[in-house]
Amino acid sequence: MLGRSQVAGFLIMAELSQKEQLALHEFSARYREALAKQHQTPEQSLDIVRDAVREQYEQEMGAKRSPSIEPSTPEKEREPEEPDQGH
Amino acid sequence: MDDLIKIVRTYRLTVGLTERIRLAEEIFRHIEPDLRVFVFSSVTHDAAKDALQEVLKAVAVSLKQFKGDTHKEFWGWCYRIARNKLSDHFRQQYAERVQPLPPDELWQIMESTAQAKPISPGVRHDLEHIIKLLTATKPDCSDLLWKHYVIGLDYAEIAEERKLSYDNARMKIGRCLDEAKSLVS
Repeated sequence: MLGRSQVAGFLIMAELSQKEQLALHEFSARYREALAKQHQTPEQSLDIVRDAVREQYEQEMGAKRSPSIEPSTPEKEREPEEPDQGH
Repeated sequence: MDDLIKIVRTYRLTVGLTERIRLAEEIFRHIEPDLRVFVFSSVTHDAAKDALQEVLKAVAVSLKQFKGDTHKEFWGWCYRIARNKLSDHFRQQYAERVQPLPPDELWQIMESTAQAKPISPGVRHDLEHIIKLLTATKPDCSDLLWKHYVIGLDYAEIAEERKLSYDNARMKIGRCLDEAKSLVS
């Protein structure tokens, strides 16, 4: 499977020779394959995604049922912030 | 890849839980491999598995709030969430992983794929060159080259991460590549 790097890479790698671009493509593909093989967690990851979607859905439904109560959505608040690099 | 943004848009408009879960699964099948590479390149491997779960959860919870309309905006948004999550919850491991993987470890990773996909002498030679390029410079430069050429972050995304201007990020990566090439040749 082609990852994002291969798609983005061929658009932006003006400084590398064509041979180097192909070699980098090969390297990236193998690196992804190795990671996928070493850490096979797709099902576990999907469970986490399903739970998160369900949790979000229930919060939305809860908010619709009682519009006066502010739902707790910490991730929603976190997203636009830049990482704090000060520590 | 255009399919991805179509699915994200559909997800945004979907009300029913079952359909939302189906779409979210589809979205995550698209993005998990690249977020995995990003996370495993950003924190120590010991922490990466937990960190990846946290990042996926954070993206899933916020998916409805994504406001963009392009593939590029979506990926920028995903990486922003990932960076926030890693710097908040895995601060120590985030800092420790500034050191790039050494060449011998990268070779072991390449070798681990050889059974499924044998490495010919020509490919071996080319991979050796790439590993040298990616590891020849100082850690900061190697990190930039890795993020740009292996993870696939573009100049704008690296500029955002490093708090640089677009042109500064582009020039810095260009200088790092020049330096790597001069050290390798």
